[in-house]
Amino acid sequence: MSKPAELYACLYARELPAQALLRLRPELRDQPCVVMDGIPPLQQVCSLNTNARLRGIAHGMTRVEVDAVPGSVALERSHKTESAVKAILLECVGAFSPRVEERSDDTAFLCGIDIAGTHALFGPPEMLARGLLQRLRAVGISASLAVSSNFHAAVCLAKGLPRCVSIRVIAPGEEAAALTDLPLTTLALTDEQAETFALWGIRTLGRLAELPERELIARMGQEGKRLRQLARGELPHLFQPVAPAFTLREQIELDSPVEVLDSLLFVIGVMLDQLILRAKARIVALASVTVSLTLDGGGAHARTVRPALPSNDKQLWIKLLHLDLEAHPPQAAILAVALDAEHGITSKVQLGLFSQQLPEPARLDVTLARLRAIVGEGNVGRAVLEDTHAPEAFRMESFTVPSGSPAVVPSAQPRAAMRQLRPPETASVVLQNQRPASFFFREGRYTVECAYGPWRSSGNWWNQTLWGSEQWDVVARAQDGSMLCCCLVRDLMHNLWQMEAFYD
Amino acid sequence: MTEGYVELHAASAFSFLEGASQPEALIERAIELQMPAIALLDRNGVYGCARFHTSAARNKVRAHIGAEIAVSSLKVRLTPPAWLPHLQPSEPARLPLLCESRQGYQNLCQLITQFKMRETTKQEGAAKLEDLEEHALGLICLTGGDEGPLSAALMRGGEEEGRNVVEQMMRIFGPHNVYVELQRHGEREQEWRNLSALRIARSLKLPVLATNGVRYARAYDREILDVFTAIRNHTQLDRAGRLLALNSLRHLRSAKQMISLFRDIPGATENTIELSSRLQFELTDLGYEFPRYPVPDGETMDSFLRKRTEEGVQRRYGAKGPDLLARAKKQVDYELALIARLGFAGYFLIVWDIIQYCRNNGILVQGRGSAANSAVCYALEITAVDPVDMDLLFERFLSESRNEWPDIDLDLPSEEKREQAIQHVYQRYGELGAAMTANVIAYRGKSAAREVGKVLGFDPESLGKLSSLVGRWEWRGENDTMAHSFHGAGFDIRHPRIAKYIELCVRMQDLPRHLGQHSGGMVICQGQLNRVVPLERASMPGRTVVQWDKEDCADLGIIKVDLLGLGMMAVIKDCLELIPEHYGEPIDLAQLPQDDEVYQTMQKADTVGMFQIESRAQMASLPRNCPRKFYDLVVQVAIIRPGPIVGQMASPYMRRRQGKEEISYPHPSLEPILKRTYGVPLFQEQLLRMAMAVANFSGAEADELRRAVGMRRSWERMKNLEGKLRAGMTANGINVPTQNTIVQYISSFAQYGFPESHAASFALLAYASAYFKVKYLAAFTCALLNNQPMGFYSPAVLVKDAQRHGLRVKPIDIQVSCWQCTIEHEPDGTRSLRIGLGYAKGLRRQAAEALAQSRVLYGPFLSVEDLVHRVPSLDKRELTVLARIGALNRITGIAHRRDALWQVERAGKPEGPLLSQNGEWLKDESEIKPLDPMRIDERLVADYAGTSLTVGRHPMYYRRAELQRNHILSARELCTREDGRFVRVAGCVIARQRPGTAKGFIFMSLEDETGIANIIVTPDLYERDRLVVTRSKFLLVEGKLQNQDNVIHVKAIRLKALADHALQVQSHDFH
Repeated sequence: MSKPAELYACLYARELPAQALLRLRPELRDQPCVVMDGIPPLQQVCSLNTNARLRGIAHGMTRVEVDAVPGSVALERSHKTESAVKAILLECVGAFSPRVEERSDDTAFLCGIDIAGTHALFGPPEMLARGLLQRLRAVGISASLAVSSNFHAAVCLAKGLPRCVSIRVIAPGEEAAALTDLPLTTLALTDEQAETFALWGIRTLGRLAELPERELIARMGQEGKRLRQLARGELPHLFQPVAPAFTLREQIELDSPVEVLDSLLFVIGVMLDQLILRAKARIVALASVTVSLTLDGGGAHARTVRPALPSNDKQLWIKLLHLDLEAHPPQAAILAVALDAEHGITSKVQLGLFSQQLPEPARLDVTLARLRAIVGEGNVGRAVLEDTHAPEAFRMESFTVPSGSPAVVPSAQPRAAMRQLRPPETASVVLQNQRPASFFFREGRYTVECAYGPWRSSGNWWNQTLWGSEQWDVVARAQDGSMLCCCLVRDLMHNLWQMEAFYD
Repeated sequence: MTEGYVELHAASAFSFLEGASQPEALIERAIELQMPAIALLDRNGVYGCARFHTSAARNKVRAHIGAEIAVSSLKVRLTPPAWLPHLQPSEPARLPLLCESRQGYQNLCQLITQFKMRETTKQEGAAKLEDLEEHALGLICLTGGDEGPLSAALMRGGEEEGRNVVEQMMRIFGPHNVYVELQRHGEREQEWRNLSALRIARSLKLPVLATNGVRYARAYDREILDVFTAIRNHTQLDRAGRLLALNSLRHLRSAKQMISLFRDIPGATENTIELSSRLQFELTDLGYEFPRYPVPDGETMDSFLRKRTEEGVQRRYGAKGPDLLARAKKQVDYELALIARLGFAGYFLIVWDIIQYCRNNGILVQGRGSAANSAVCYALEITAVDPVDMDLLFERFLSESRNEWPDIDLDLPSEEKREQAIQHVYQRYGELGAAMTANVIAYRGKSAAREVGKVLGFDPESLGKLSSLVGRWEWRGENDTMAHSFHGAGFDIRHPRIAKYIELCVRMQDLPRHLGQHSGGMVICQGQLNRVVPLERASMPGRTVVQWDKEDCADLGIIKVDLLGLGMMAVIKDCLELIPEHYGEPIDLAQLPQDDEVYQTMQKADTVGMFQIESRAQMASLPRNCPRKFYDLVVQVAIIRPGPIVGQMASPYMRRRQGKEEISYPHPSLEPILKRTYGVPLFQEQLLRMAMAVANFSGAEADELRRAVGMRRSWERMKNLEGKLRAGMTANGINVPTQNTIVQYISSFAQYGFPESHAASFALLAYASAYFKVKYLAAFTCALLNNQPMGFYSPAVLVKDAQRHGLRVKPIDIQVSCWQCTIEHEPDGTRSLRIGLGYAKGLRRQAAEALAQSRVLYGPFLSVEDLVHRVPSLDKRELTVLARIGALNRITGIAHRRDALWQVERAGKPEGPLLSQNGEWLKDESEIKPLDPMRIDERLVADYAGTSLTVGRHPMYYRRAELQRNHILSARELCTREDGRFVRVAGCVIARQRPGTAKGFIFMSLEDETGIANIIVTPDLYERDRLVVTRSKFLLVEGKLQNQDNVIHVKAIRLKALADHALQVQSHDFH
């Protein structure tokens, strides 16, 4: 059986970041538009439209340089939009062939399409190309397309096509001739290779193709051979079609609106069975599950549960989801349910023989989920102090299995204890000689008997988050004669007094 | 009112990255707060003390000296408790010590030297308790603040351990010399420690002392300290956390504030006054002594010096006729008498000794500066200019009243020879007897921009871009702010972070970063230098440095000898070897004939490569001044300087010399003094003589006048002297208008004037370089190229200039080139220059020398494979460089550069040991040459990229036809056009200058194949076309031709960049 004839189309959409953003902004198309990448204030142009290019804007320019061009519009780069556009492009291409290989780089979309045998469906390659480009234009993207029986020749051609030409089809056997005038930049050369060819004065694929093969291999190794084959349009290609992503998703429209959580959990249970089954088939476990509920009246409600370890234990998942939904119930009757799961690797933790006895991870997760349901997200875990002088600086970290013995030996020295008010409460303070003399707090008036301070701190002066405060340790007497030992704080940025703590 | 407090614990930015204000800023603030005294205690040194003392003395504030000494035996300094996350490194606690007496200061210096020198490399180091015990006398010990040992001990082991530490200090320094220090920076923990410290002080009956542990002059400077902290800990501000200051209270506070702060602790502030009055030591009281020169028995240093001088007088003047000899003897007697009176004989003998050492070891050496005014120096062969013949004024060098050591600078050929001389001094005076002066590396535009960017968390790429922006133009126009250049480069200066960045960069300018060593200044001391100033290791092995820079040393009267590297000395030294070898003519530097041809060349401003007279400004004035004899050259060297130009002396001199202006004198008595310079005072010596002539000043008084005018802050002294000057003139019957003119002459000029002796020393070298260039072009160019970088022009320009003067310059060729450039003899008897392998960029010297050696041993290379086989140390990258610049073209079988590149790529592949045994095995079997030869433009690109120069035709030559079609002139054609004509000229930019004296005008030099054209760019045009002016490599200029007195300029109206085809030509910018 003879090998079927190969035929590939290569689709190339340059300036994807700009095209992706301008696709849904037709009003900007006639203006010079650029897309800025990087963290402000150090942003640079990563992509631009034709209008901008014609006005002299180039890649790598900074914001101020762009601003100097009258009428220019600078947009922020959006990777999310770009991947959505890529998905759309793949979808469009998928309508012409099921076998597509994606080879995009940072700012351009590039894919090879296996179009062998599509003649009967779409006509000759030119017609297919026109149809495909037309379709892309309909979704707002302009691109170029090259067709060749050699995959790499098609890629090089598509990249090297002049901006005014959008379609090029070459007959089998004419690859080398078609490639000969293309610049070497159409090959993805390493810096070292590019430097060597520059030294040799090789600038086009044609000149590269003419180099004697053996001698080239003696100098550049097998890479040299590969590049030469590429330049001649002779390099064979193992097609690697885009695999459909493994998504764990189940969806159901409920026959009648559900309001009771138990009924919902019954449905979720059935869906979880499916997800777990599919996950198990791939020897993975569910790492997180997102429940998306479509609500009566058009609303939506989504919750994500992520235990410490991926698990395929259905009962655990039901319990966790139950607790979560109980804590965050939907506000209307439920019309539809969708479950999206991320998968992770099933793992067992091997504990040491003499290590501390710990609760089972699954049970700990349930307990933590219960706590979270009561005290709120982000309030469960362990508080860790931050390395800063700023007051109240701590972050929450999730619990981890401690290793070894605690590094800090608690000091034997007695320390004064205090009760911190969280959040601090407002107090109104009367000053005398810049020291607190009396204050009102919780509807009582206190006369200061002793004030120690001020204890001053300030920081982050290089940021907008700069802060400064002044603390006073105060012994005060209320009108009824009772004593109050407390800590008053003055926020120097806002000149605001607050009661921060009581000393026991 | 502030008598109530003296700050006795302040640190300056000389605590390198642990203090944020200059010593002068602390003094300035102390004056504002009316503080009568202040003490400086920097980390492990007295680096800032000299400047602190000088500034304090000027402002009548008492400067107490001390240091914070790291002591490893006192365990680590206070860190946040372990339960708090922090990055605080573990460092030894630092003990604050104050010098009570000179003995205390000497002990402190010895203590610091002892632990610094214990390290084998340049390091912070730390003292031990034994060191303290050894050097405790005369020092007062404070218990320290957060950095001190008491705080650390209290936190570590409570009051008991704290008391132990204090008792230890009492044992070492004596109970009367320990003060328990209290600081209050609004921190709770500190207050807790203060309470413990108070109890300890009470129980041990020690006085308490309030200080503020000052780290910066004003509260606002805390920001700089935080930036420094982040730099010191190699982190960013966002991540530094508890390393940073808790608040901004460690600034200099007024007595009122301090008294109120310590009101509850009796004696705390009062004791500062008491302690301050105990501290009697000031830096004026150093006890420095210059070493004595060992003389034979029966001789004194004076008699020995007299003998050596008299021998020298005979040698130098014997042949010059009895008249000069008699004058010389008289002058020498006068000088020797003064030297003996001042006790400087040892100094002259020590310099003489260095000169003797250099002469005996074949090192060319010449003294410069005011030493050339001295006949003794001339007789001792320290200098080469005859002061008697030239009638130079000795008082400029040495005067009785100056109370300062004379200053002799010695020029040596750069690098190794200089090092040899330096090592000689080290050996002679011992490790603790001589050291280099320090060079304080301070934050400048670029370094500040880079480091601030780093701590603010900018990424490396943006940082590179930011720091490269900081311009180095000498002239700073109103738009030349950092902010403007950042905006110009595309940064949004309104963004708060960028704005803060710029502000911090500006505030950090000139703050010290670390200590380096001065390139040539050496201090020498009788006995122990380490009792005068601490010594420490330099980063260069075998070198030690003192903690002060040369100005500090001079301010404190410490004598230094400057051993300076001067590129032109090396060139002359090389010429002295090359000329006899290749021209067969003996040459004696001291007897160079005065040659008309040499002067004619200078008159034409054909001076590329000549010492001191090659710059744009020099070239523009040479045709006008038209030097015809040696003294004209002395003036020429002195006149194109900021001083005479700013003082508006240059133009009157030139006009008078050209006969365009009448020669006049402010007063007839000045005619003999100013006659040589056509009535225009140019030299400092003339100023001295003027004062002596019109107001009967003595030489010493006249020199004092010069120095008073030179120093900007000495208004009072200046006023007194001016009064005296006027009184003298009145006594001599000079009327008031003339007096005013003379005073005006003196004050406008004295700040910038140039010593005539110094100009004469430089003029000697200038003449020698001109003579060699005119008479022995091949040797001179060869020497010049072998001693780069030096001078004003790049090697590419030097080569082109030599070619225009008829020298044949040949490219690098591995079959003949050595590492250095060499002279070759052509069949027609002429000499040509072969560029050395050293000019191949990226070629290691070791590999090049192996190549040359293999050629000597086994003859020429037969093939690329043969080369690779015989010189295995050449790596592929180096082979590629050589192939690319055409250095392999003369190997058999290589057709052109690309062919060489093709073959090198094969032969340069690393092979296993089996194959590499025989180079021929690596050879291609086929003889295919698939690559095209390089085009001309490609060859030019390769030449400039690989060697920074081309020996082929100038890049502009290849464009000439096209340029001619467009009526664009060459540099030579410009000379034939009339003044005022509109012209167009194009060329390669070889220099851009924006001198401080030119009010924002920019001078550019464009080179083409016919010569150099001079362009003037107005400030307006520069503002319009900044990028074209600063970035273009090739430029087309349209403008008006100015041809005055054969000085030709084009005043640009329009500029246009020409395509440069990626040629990597270099221009000498922003000189």
